[in-house]
Amino acid sequence: MDNSGPQSTIGDSEAGSKTKPGSRNLRSDNKTVTFGDAAAVRSLPWWALAGAIFVILLWFLATTAWGFPSEFKAEVDAQELMTAQSDAEEAGLAIPSSTHVSDRDYYRLCSLADDAQCDVDGFTQIVSPLTFPSPSDTWNASTELFTDGYRNVSIWKHIWASLWRVMRGMFWGCLVGIPLGLAMGLSSKARGFLDPMVEGFRVIPPLALVTLFGLIFGIGDSTAVPLLIFASIWIMIIAARAGVRNASLSKVRAAYSLGATKPQLLRTVLIPNALPEIFTGLRVALGVSWGTLVAAELFGVSTGLGAMIQQAKNFSRLDVIVVAIVVIAVLGVAMDAIIRLLEAIFIPWQGKG
Amino acid sequence: MKQLVVKNLDMVYELPKGDSVHALSDISFELDGGRMLTLLGPSGCGKTTLLNIIAGFLGPTSGEVHLGGDKIVGPSRERGMVFQQGALFEWLSVEKNISYGPRMRGQKSAEYGLEVERLLDVVGLSGFGSKQVYELSGGMQQRVALARCLANDPEMMLMDEPLGALDALTREKMQGLILNLWNDTGKSIVMVTHSVEEALLLGDTVFVMAPRPGRIEKVYELPFAKAALTGDSREIKNSKEFIEVREEVLSFIWEMEEEIMGREMA
Repeated sequence: MDNSGPQSTIGDSEAGSKTKPGSRNLRSDNKTVTFGDAAAVRSLPWWALAGAIFVILLWFLATTAWGFPSEFKAEVDAQELMTAQSDAEEAGLAIPSSTHVSDRDYYRLCSLADDAQCDVDGFTQIVSPLTFPSPSDTWNASTELFTDGYRNVSIWKHIWASLWRVMRGMFWGCLVGIPLGLAMGLSSKARGFLDPMVEGFRVIPPLALVTLFGLIFGIGDSTAVPLLIFASIWIMIIAARAGVRNASLSKVRAAYSLGATKPQLLRTVLIPNALPEIFTGLRVALGVSWGTLVAAELFGVSTGLGAMIQQAKNFSRLDVIVVAIVVIAVLGVAMDAIIRLLEAIFIPWQGKG
Repeated sequence: MKQLVVKNLDMVYELPKGDSVHALSDISFELDGGRMLTLLGPSGCGKTTLLNIIAGFLGPTSGEVHLGGDKIVGPSRERGMVFQQGALFEWLSVEKNISYGPRMRGQKSAEYGLEVERLLDVVGLSGFGSKQVYELSGGMQQRVALARCLANDPEMMLMDEPLGALDALTREKMQGLILNLWNDTGKSIVMVTHSVEEALLLGDTVFVMAPRPGRIEKVYELPFAKAALTGDSREIKNSKEFIEVREEVLSFIWEMEEEIMGREMA
């Protein structure tokens, strides 16, 4: 029938697998121009792994102080064990057979000790363990946090408190922002009315409003959630507005000439057409929300990763702070991955038009 | 089939700096139901404007358009439109695209299902109903657009360079398909095209338009469309009569283009 029949479209995926079995090098597909061919550049998995290892290695090298005398370490270990055992005996708990001493404690005791052998100034180090926890200290802190929690509060409770705040902020930001954005894309009156608010408010960093919101809404969640709504709503308005503006005139006209009414046009053409922009907005808003949240939690809340960081700061538990930071990074990446998965499900046509 | 009546149509676009463009000037014609009209002319002659006014997307500055005695005031499913490309809904499958009109009228799949199957067969896409639009080639997408228009059973089909984005071979096949649809359904078709050959082959009436102000300069009544239904279209395109008309129209359009260029240079 059609010369450009189904073979040509289905064939695309097959063409990829038909590459010569021997050609391992991706760049050697008879291309003479390779350097500067931006479309051929991708993130190779092994190199990504190497990059991650590089970061951890750098961290390890920078924060590990070399050269503790082993006699000194043994002495500290023995002392710590004795203290722990006597503490346990007094409290009537099971007597531990070993304790863990952190690099930080060795370093601190070493610098305090009146011991000629233990001279911290002679150690090879870039960052002192007192300033930044080493990977091993962080690892130990994380096992402690995930089993016992921090200061009798499970870390899962902190994580959930933060997640729940982000989700509430994003939910209300979307629920109010997307319809307003659609209205701005569809009506000149709505655009004129809302433009000054959107343009004026969206440039205000949410953190500048912490104090003000605290006075208005009271401290705690009643400030954190409105702050997150403030952080996401303008982004969602602008995303939805851009999505509507993107609708091609021929699609709109086609729908009208097929007999669609205005509400039908909105539901079946304009909103689906705006989905790619709305999803992009979601991803941006999510990033901004996390940034705002942790800072907002530094004031007046008792749970949440930001609050945990604040408490850990008061007790100089830098290792706990680093664990919290890593947890935030993992949560952010995970939520972004979920949105990208939803994108693949809901807007499979993106980039294929 | 209903008669299309265009009466004293004038269209003036106001430009921001106080200039204005006289896109259409005093256009009047009547087109009986079941005719195939092709609009031809250099760019800026107002052929797409005329099509958009007939579709109801634009209101004329003055004048009226009637279809079967009813004045056209806006888009309606009576006048289906086929666009050059990009007017299909990517978020819907081929089937859902074709059944869009019936579904907007509240029909259930039991009512339109068979019709969609039949139309898929008519445009040569049997078995492609559940595919996604973006999985199809350009030619196949235009077949879907034709089927979507037909599913609404319009009085008249309007086409804005429907084959403009296709390669030459696909284009020739699609011209055959449009001719067959025209013959089988008996619907009126108004088509805008840039290709002189396409306009002369498909149109049983051809308007050659001129710009500034946009007007109908020549009207041809041609036998080629009817002949192409039964005969070989390539033979017709090589016939003496066809070449004669083609050269006449081409040199006419060429002169107009030269004149425009001259006017702009001056």
